[in-house]
Amino acid sequence: MNYIELVNNLLKEQVSKHEQLVIFGQNVSAGSCIGGMTRGLSIPKSGRIINSTNSENSLCGFGFGMMINEVSSIFFMKQLDFLLLGIDHLVNTFNVIRNHENNASFTIFPIVMDNGYQGLQSSSNNFADFCSIARIKGYTITNKIDAEKIISSKLISPGFRIIAISQRMFKDEVIIPDELIYVNDENDVFQYNVGSDVTVVCFNFSFPYGKQIVDSLKENNLKCSFFNVNSTTPTNWTKIVDDVSKTKKIIILDDSKSENLNCYSLLNDISDKVVLDKKIILKRNLDNTNWLDPIDDKMDINLQQIVNDLIE
Amino acid sequence: MAELNSLAKKILQIRLAQMMVNENYKDGQFKVPIHLAFGHETFAVAINEIMDDEDKLILTHRNIAYNLARLEKLRPVMDEYFLKSTGLDSAKSGSMNLINPSRGLIYTSSILGNNFSVAVGIAMSLDIKRKDGITIVLGGDGSLEEGSFHESILMFKSLNLSGLLIIENNEWSMATKISERRIHIDLETFAKSYNVKYVKLSGNNPLDYIQKLKKLKDLSKKSNELICIEVIVNTLGDWIMTNDQNPDGKFINYHAGPAPTVDVKACPALIKENNSDPIFVLIDLLGVDELNKISDKIRNELEEEMK
Repeated sequence: MNYIELVNNLLKEQVSKHEQLVIFGQNVSAGSCIGGMTRGLSIPKSGRIINSTNSENSLCGFGFGMMINEVSSIFFMKQLDFLLLGIDHLVNTFNVIRNHENNASFTIFPIVMDNGYQGLQSSSNNFADFCSIARIKGYTITNKIDAEKIISSKLISPGFRIIAISQRMFKDEVIIPDELIYVNDENDVFQYNVGSDVTVVCFNFSFPYGKQIVDSLKENNLKCSFFNVNSTTPTNWTKIVDDVSKTKKIIILDDSKSENLNCYSLLNDISDKVVLDKKIILKRNLDNTNWLDPIDDKMDINLQQIVNDLIE
Repeated sequence: MAELNSLAKKILQIRLAQMMVNENYKDGQFKVPIHLAFGHETFAVAINEIMDDEDKLILTHRNIAYNLARLEKLRPVMDEYFLKSTGLDSAKSGSMNLINPSRGLIYTSSILGNNFSVAVGIAMSLDIKRKDGITIVLGGDGSLEEGSFHESILMFKSLNLSGLLIIENNEWSMATKISERRIHIDLETFAKSYNVKYVKLSGNNPLDYIQKLKKLKDLSKKSNELICIEVIVNTLGDWIMTNDQNPDGKFINYHAGPAPTVDVKACPALIKENNSDPIFVLIDLLGVDELNKISDKIRNELEEEMK
């Protein structure tokens, strides 16, 4: 099963259970159904599925308006970039709502256009920036385990959040981690391996790269602890800090194009408690010559060099 | 006459309550910015009169007249402005975002045009919950310039949602006249292009406002359609600013902050001697003696409440 089929199946399962749910977004029930993401969604008759106008700013306000009057909704969106039009509501309207008691759910579910070659626009993958601006909870979907946990627990639950999926992974076979070692209460820090040689931590949508690195290190007899941080704002990552205090070595991956990376917050917390023997930070190397060009959005990772670095 | 008398009491209560807020404001007692609404009292009372239990009211930062109308008390509003825990919203909202959900006033916004789309969502929630209520959303004439105004009308109409979208037109946006900044927007033509019924109200006659608003509300509910209402208001409290740049004085329309020329001692709380002042219209309808009598009574009640 590929990534988007899994997401679609999980969405279908969740939305079918909830009464008085409103699902909306452009093409949510027509055409490609947003690249297959919302194909075949079916909800109880008490709710509505609305193939909406393109008015992204007002659609954000629409969701918050329903939330104010205790009706839950999900806004599916083709591109994270479009959510830039709704920033006012993400900040100002949400501030009013969260300052008062409210039991409704509102989820914005955008696709992060991280597949490259989109041109000057339509290529923002800075999911954390949207969440950071108003301390919004945001979750990334990167594999089968986190998809199941996050969609079942967060898609329709009291409060507001953004759950983002990766366009780059759409057609890829969904990654199924061997086992889940640990997940925190918020379902935003997941651990998939335990090892004593190095701690590998992934941010944004870098999990597939992290998995490659972990597999490669394993082949070279290096034992890794493997974490994925699915939240885009600082969260309870005590487990990661504790793990690094044992391994003293960390590899951090973050494929966001943002200037302010969430991984720096983790490094800051770690530096307060641990003197590291080795720190490898793998992030986007974007300079002024190419970062606006329509280029491949993939990270260049030299697996052999990482192995050599650690063995040294 | 009895109905008019009762409405006059309510209008005067909002006027005098605002004047008392203004006196504290002139003394520099508030930390939160307040947008007074002298001149908006009659329309606020009219909206209050047509609202039923399940109706929802969505306002702007200039919400004081409506909050006072819905609450019919001053103390909780004043306490909110002083950020006391006894405030209407327990000091959580201050002025520009003050709400009173128990009276249907469920969202106010200080961001121009922000509340229109929230209103569409609230209208949808009433539809989903099969509630009998209607959504009433207000904005100023400046908000016509925001994209969300257009987007929200489009959504109201596309989703067949009932609602009253009311534009309080005072022809000013902060310190400039609308005509100083932009071309005229013909709201009637604009509404027509979306097949939205448009009605213009003016004159500050409470009976006239209530009668027309009731009919429009019923029509909107019955036909599941949005109705656009433009009401002409004059936000009172202007003054003449004199300084080095303006030695002859410059007219300053009231926008926010204390209104320096408005005096709480004025009888019967009159600010302007023309129809733009709801109190002037009441004098015309009831006579100055009757209005002075009501004004004295309300003034005493408010002073008692604030002791």
